[in-house]
Amino acid sequence: MIDVVGFVISWLTIFGIYSILSLSLNLESGTAGVTNFGKVVFYGAGAYIAATLTTYLTLILNGVDVTETPPYDVRGIVLLGELGSRNPLMSLGLLVLSLVVAFVIAGALGYLLSYPIIRVGPAFVGFTLLSFGELMRVFLQHYEPVGGNKGLMAIPTPFGWVAESRVREVAYLGLVMGVLATTYVVIHRLVNSPLGRTLRAVRDDEVAALCLGKHVPKIKAKVLFVGSGFAGVAGVLLAYYLTSVNPNMFVPAVTFNVWAMIILGGCGNLKGSLVGAAVVTFVDRVLTFVTPYLGVTVISPDYLRWVIVGLLIVVVLIVNPRGLLPEEPIKTPALEVVSEELGGGSG
Amino acid sequence: MRAVLEVRDVAKYFGGVKALDGVSLEVPETGLVGLIGPNGSGKTTLFNVVTGFYVPDKGEVLLRESDDLVRIDGLNPNEVFKKGVVRTFQIPRLFNSLTVLENLLVTPLGQRGESLVRALLRGSWSGQERELARKAVELLKMFDMLHYANSKVSELSVAHIKMLETIRGLMTPAKLYLLDEPAAGVDYSTARKLFTYVRKLRDERGLTFLVIEHRLEILMEYVDYVYVLHNGKLLSEGKPQEVVSDPKVVEAYIGA
Repeated sequence: MIDVVGFVISWLTIFGIYSILSLSLNLESGTAGVTNFGKVVFYGAGAYIAATLTTYLTLILNGVDVTETPPYDVRGIVLLGELGSRNPLMSLGLLVLSLVVAFVIAGALGYLLSYPIIRVGPAFVGFTLLSFGELMRVFLQHYEPVGGNKGLMAIPTPFGWVAESRVREVAYLGLVMGVLATTYVVIHRLVNSPLGRTLRAVRDDEVAALCLGKHVPKIKAKVLFVGSGFAGVAGVLLAYYLTSVNPNMFVPAVTFNVWAMIILGGCGNLKGSLVGAAVVTFVDRVLTFVTPYLGVTVISPDYLRWVIVGLLIVVVLIVNPRGLLPEEPIKTPALEVVSEELGGGSG
Repeated sequence: MRAVLEVRDVAKYFGGVKALDGVSLEVPETGLVGLIGPNGSGKTTLFNVVTGFYVPDKGEVLLRESDDLVRIDGLNPNEVFKKGVVRTFQIPRLFNSLTVLENLLVTPLGQRGESLVRALLRGSWSGQERELARKAVELLKMFDMLHYANSKVSELSVAHIKMLETIRGLMTPAKLYLLDEPAAGVDYSTARKLFTYVRKLRDERGLTFLVIEHRLEILMEYVDYVYVLHNGKLLSEGKPQEVVSDPKVVEAYIGA
C-alpha cells in the first residue's frame, strides 16, 4: 500500500522549501528583472552552512576533538548519530544559528556577486551567476573540511530528539511552513511598497529609472541580498530535511527547476510562485513515490520529470503567456487616494 | 534674468563625426526656451551631454545652485537628476507594465518606503505615499488624465503617453525640465494643448523649460527664445520672429 500520509507530508515539506526559493527568485527576476541563473549558489551555500555548523558544533560541544575525528570521517558520522539527538536545546539552538548565519552569509554573497554582474548586460548576468554556481560546486568537491565529493552526512536534525518518526516529520513540516509564511509576508510587503514599485520600474526601463535618479546597481544589489538570503534559508531547511549534503545536489538544473515554477505560476505574482512550486514538486514527488511500485519499466519514470514539467510550461504559456496568475498592480495607500478622487468626481 | 543652465563651448565627437562642435547656450530662470535644428544637428546629443549620458570632449555644463553655477558635466544621469535636471525622451521611455499612477509615483526622491527596512513597515511610509498620490492626482487633473490613473501604459494612446512622460517629470520640483520633442506623433490640437500646459506651468509655478521640437509652427508660438543648431554648431539664436526670418536658418531647413 502507498503511504498517503507520508506522501503528503514529504510533498508539503519539499513544496515549502521550493516555495521559499521560487518566492525569492520571483522578487529578483519577476519583479526586479535580474536574470538570476545562479539561484543554486545561495541555496547550496545555505545547505552547506547548516551542515557544517551543525556537524562541527555538535561534535565540539560534546567534547569531541574534531581534528582527530572530523564529521566527514566514518567515526565522526557514527558519533554524530549517537550524539545528535540527545539534547533538544542544542538541536534547536543550532537550527536558529544556522538560519541566521545562512541568511546573512548567502545574502552577503549575493550582494557581493552583484558587483561584477552590474557591469554586464542582462543575458550575461545570467551566465555569470550560472558559471559561479559551477565554480562553487567544483570547489566543494575538492574541499575536504566539508567532506569533498562525499559531502557531509548524519546531520543532526532540529527534532532528532523526538522519538516518534511521524511526529518528527510533522514537527519539521510545521517549521518549514512557518519559515515559508515569514518569507511570504516579507516579500509581499517589499513588493507592495515604493521599493517594489521602483524595482518594477528598473525592470521595465533601466535608462528611464536612471534618469529619475535611481541608483540602479545599488537597487539590484539590495534585491540580490534579500533574494539570496532567503535562498540560503531554504538551503538550511533542505540540509536538515535530507540530513546530508553533497556537491552534486547543487547542479544548475536546480536553478532551472525554480525558474520553471515562476514561469508556470506567473512572473511577478507571488501566489503564482506558490502554485508553480506546488505543481512542480507534486510531479516530482509522485514520480519518486510511484517508481518503486512499477518494477522494471522501459523508461525510468525519473526521466519523465523534465518532460512533464516542460510540457506543462508549453501548454500554460500557449494558453496564457504570462503564466497561470498574471502580475497585479502594486497595493499601496495611493490607490485609495485615487479611488476617492475618482469616486468623488463621478458622483 | 540669471541663467539656470549654462553650456560653455561644449564639443562631443563620435570618431570623426562632430556631433557637437563648440556649442554655448544659456537657459534663464523661468525661461521657456526652444532648441531647433534639422535632423542630426546635435539637439539630442546636447540633451545627453547635459543629463550625464555623455561626457563632453570639451567644454563645461553648469547648473545654478543658489548664487553659484556648478559643473554637472561628467556626473552620472542619476546624480544629474538629483541636482535638479529632469528630461523626457524623443521616443517615450515609460514603465510599460506599471499603471499611470505608478509611473508618476516612481519619480519623487527621498521616498521612505524605498529603503529595504522601512518598506517592511507600512506605517513608516504610508503617510508620505498618500501625500505623493494627492500630488499625482492634482497633476493628472490638470492634464485631464485622471480617468486613466489606473490604466496600464500599454493601454494608452500616443498622445497620452507623450503627456504622461512630461507629467512624470513634474512630480519632482526640478530646476530645469528638458523636453525632447513632446509633440512628436501627436495631433495638432493635442500638441497645442500640451504646449499650453507647459506655458501655464512656467507662468504659474515659475518652472524652467528647454524644449526640442520639430514642429516649429507650434513651438514658435509658445517659446520666448530659440537656439538653432546645425551640424553640431550654433547657427542662430534670438526671439522666435527673429530666428524664423534669419536667412541662415531658412537655408539650413530648406536649402542644400
